[in-house]
Amino acid sequence: MELNGGSVVAMIGKDCVAIASDLRLGNQSVGVASNFEKVFPVNDKLYYGIPGLASDVYTLREHLRFRVNMYRMKEEREITPKTFTHLVSSTLYEKRFGPFFVEPVVAGIPSPTPLDPHPRPFISTMDTIGCITTPKDFAVAGTAADKLYGVAEGLWEPDLEPEDLFETISQTLLNAVDRDALSGWGVVVHLITADKVVTRTLRARMD
Amino acid sequence: MALYAQPPTSYSVPTTAPIEHRFNPYSDNGGTILAIAGKDFSVIAGDTRQSEGYSIQTRYARKVWQLTDKVVLATNGFAADGNNFVKRVKQRLEWYEHAHHKPMGLKSIARMIQTILYGKRFFPYYVYNILGGIEEDGSGAVYSFDPVGSYEREACRAAGAAQSLIQPFLDNQVYFKNQQPAPGSAPFVPGNLPLSTILSLVVDSFTSATERHIEVGDGMEIYVVMNRGRNTDDLLGPGILAESMHVEELGALGEGGGEKTFLVTSPLKRD
Repeated sequence: MELNGGSVVAMIGKDCVAIASDLRLGNQSVGVASNFEKVFPVNDKLYYGIPGLASDVYTLREHLRFRVNMYRMKEEREITPKTFTHLVSSTLYEKRFGPFFVEPVVAGIPSPTPLDPHPRPFISTMDTIGCITTPKDFAVAGTAADKLYGVAEGLWEPDLEPEDLFETISQTLLNAVDRDALSGWGVVVHLITADKVVTRTLRARMD
Repeated sequence: MALYAQPPTSYSVPTTAPIEHRFNPYSDNGGTILAIAGKDFSVIAGDTRQSEGYSIQTRYARKVWQLTDKVVLATNGFAADGNNFVKRVKQRLEWYEHAHHKPMGLKSIARMIQTILYGKRFFPYYVYNILGGIEEDGSGAVYSFDPVGSYEREACRAAGAAQSLIQPFLDNQVYFKNQQPAPGSAPFVPGNLPLSTILSLVVDSFTSATERHIEVGDGMEIYVVMNRGRNTDDLLGPGILAESMHVEELGALGEGGGEKTFLVTSPLKRD
């Protein structure tokens, strides 16, 4: 985790979720790139972020892309956030004794089904070997996790509207990474609602 | 057959490596402290849990100390060092008062603390100090120190176990970091927040830290130092403090210059 640095945070709002990451890639204390995104789409209602060892970020992303494509072809439907979380979890646990050094965060809005016509927004997070937690409020991961916990606990409140959720997650991440030497160098935020995803790159401190 | 038996391994080959014992004179007793300066007042707070490892030693141990009518000191780190350090500071303040017939001022106490801490540069007091109070010009002030005496005057500071949780929150809410004023409105100036806002920030900081950090909790002591002649309605007025909070005015320590110190106490979660 401390080799390349980086942090991810996800938050639940009223009929919306947001997931955001910093853009730094480093070699310990040396900054290497300021365009290293750690959040990727699965489909237009489901995103996930993987902070941690950069080589494992790439490996796991491709691994998951393969497995999601296989799921899509076999099932002829899109994967739900909950199923995707278990897919990531079992992928990580396969490497129980030689783990991927990543802490994934999943955020998405499940599509309505006849059995569940009004699904709730969903976030989850895992440790390096795939142990899942599904918080009701927010999930944090990466080298600024402790700072993110402090700020998120102070700023977040239930049932935020999309634009308020965007402001909350942006301020949380910006102020947390400004106190972390291994995260920062730019921030990107994805705001997911039932009908669209808005992605914004924020102006941030670049030191 | 006994003649040919191998000697017992116990005295032929050493079975274990020698065990090295070493006395460690320090430990970490957790807890968190925090101070925020206002225009003509200062707020200094700390939680009351004292722990060692995963064990709670006590749910009430004092970390914030009234030094003079206008100065309050918060200590955090190794409790034994902290208590001893405060004892030495108080004694030096008493000597000063006998010698000069007046209490020591805030900035002088800050410099004295630096020399006391640096005096033990090679066997330090394992304590992070935050000093708050009223400056000679009547303004609220906060000074923060590292264990060997490096210090700085600031508008706010958090220290201790939950420093990493609280400080970025304070950067945002007190220094207005990553915020910009609405077009046409006045620029943000740190250190000018009203008392009610600062009290809310302090309470929110500690409840957040209690929620996410195991070494923080049980109770909270908030000292509010007000400049002489300042109106106290924004602390003692009705509906300012929550139902669970208790406030008392601490009497003057010396002859009393008119400055007022209040102690606000509030319970925190105990789990």
